[in-house]
Amino acid sequence: METEIINKPSGSKTTFLIVIIFSAAFIIYYSVMSMISPARKLAEIKDEFGVDPAEKSANDKRIYTDSTYLSLLKEKAFLQSRITMAETDSIYLAINLADNTANIEISGVAVHKAKMSEVHTSKILLKGNENIILSLLALPFSVSNEYSTIRKDPVMIKVAPKDTSEYKPDIMPDTSITEPVNYMLETTNGIRIYVYQQENDKFTYRMSRFKFDIKNRLRDTWSSLKSVALFKVPEYHPFIKMRLPRADAKIIYRALPKYGQIAVFRE
Amino acid sequence: MENDKIKNERSLPEVGKNTGKKNLSKNESISPPDNSLWQNFRSRKQLFNIVRNIFIFLISIFITIALILFFLYLVPALRELTSGQKTEITNNNELKKDASYKKQISLMTKAIQRLSKKYSSYTSGQSYIVINTTDNRFFLYRNKKLIREGFCSTGSLTMLRTESGNKVWVFKTPKGKHWIQGKITNPSWRRPDWSFVEEGLPIPPKDDPSRYESGVLGDYAMSIGDGYLIHGTIYKRFLGMPVTHGCVRLNDEDLEVIYNTLSIGSKVYIF
Repeated sequence: METEIINKPSGSKTTFLIVIIFSAAFIIYYSVMSMISPARKLAEIKDEFGVDPAEKSANDKRIYTDSTYLSLLKEKAFLQSRITMAETDSIYLAINLADNTANIEISGVAVHKAKMSEVHTSKILLKGNENIILSLLALPFSVSNEYSTIRKDPVMIKVAPKDTSEYKPDIMPDTSITEPVNYMLETTNGIRIYVYQQENDKFTYRMSRFKFDIKNRLRDTWSSLKSVALFKVPEYHPFIKMRLPRADAKIIYRALPKYGQIAVFRE
Repeated sequence: MENDKIKNERSLPEVGKNTGKKNLSKNESISPPDNSLWQNFRSRKQLFNIVRNIFIFLISIFITIALILFFLYLVPALRELTSGQKTEITNNNELKKDASYKKQISLMTKAIQRLSKKYSSYTSGQSYIVINTTDNRFFLYRNKKLIREGFCSTGSLTMLRTESGNKVWVFKTPKGKHWIQGKITNPSWRRPDWSFVEEGLPIPPKDDPSRYESGVLGDYAMSIGDGYLIHGTIYKRFLGMPVTHGCVRLNDEDLEVIYNTLSIGSKVYIF
């Protein structure tokens, strides 16, 4: 009996210690795996969008790091991407990070222009290998998934009246409702476009943005934890986060088709 | 007796003086004020357990918050810190004199010029109209310049269904690129089935006179295909709101300008 009483606390201490050691090991492992993920993403982009021309070309390799050449290449990539989209007759989004604009275009015609007040771009898109990133940007991104605080098509269902006695003429729609507009468009190549409304003066706006952000972070963390638990490098999603006036953010979201296309011009 | 007491009291400090060190050590070992409080506290097991549990609870909360912050904020931030190495951009004057470099740059410039030309050709030099269904506004362009803008009414995004659910209509303005397919003056409205269903009326035969109403579409109408029209309205107070069954409604003055500016084949961009 005595030994039992003495051993009990030391046993729980050992378990506690083991748990602590395992948790610490997992945290370190998770951090390392997460930090590897951007390099892996860059390698994936390189595999998918062709090799770095500087590696294979017979030309003078210095040209591929030349400022004039690279700025022309950027312009060409953006034009190529927009032409590809213009030929589809669909509504698409053209994001210009150089002049901070986000335009809705249909068949090459800019039908709506919006000015971003703030932009944050993933380092991999800004500082990744220029030639590889530009080959990625030469093709339009297709939206594969989206999360939003507003509905894309807010369709209301109305059941027809049985006879004229049940008929009620349409009431004037309530335009005073100002729901917060925050959304994320995930593209097929893993790049995510986050659009947050610029207006931040109301508590409900700030709260909505916080909730939206936390939900996205939780979703990402959960997916990363699952990957790491299976000894896989978690997926890294390069991002472009922008703030737009609420009205513009809403127009862009509602105008873009569900699987719409996006072109990006990088600084 | 009294004298004895006084004697004893007086003698006490003396005793203290002689055995000062001994007394102090005795006092320390027996009951110093702090330890006694601690032991008192420990002896009250219940209180001790409560405080201990509160402490453990607070520590657990702290660890949980720290872990949440670590996983949700710190790891993504670390990820960003480690992502990518910037390509070293050069501006070599010697290279710029090189013939092959000049050739490459000229080829690239030509390609960009060609693409730019192609892209700008998409924007029609003809007149066209842009309709924003989110804000219910229109923008009329001629020679790529905005000549008029104003309010309109577009689809209410209502889904009307019969009680049995066998017929459904969605009142939505079609988005994308369209063109003017027909122009009509003094149009009369041929009421479709949904307009009877919506009011709880029986659906009349196809060419029944009750289907025809005049004066409700304004002075002009322009067809953009699939039965959708750009027309006038008697419900002017609803302009700027999504209230229509899919058509685009305008006020009389705007409608006249648009009718006179656009011709058959003119582009209509709806988003």
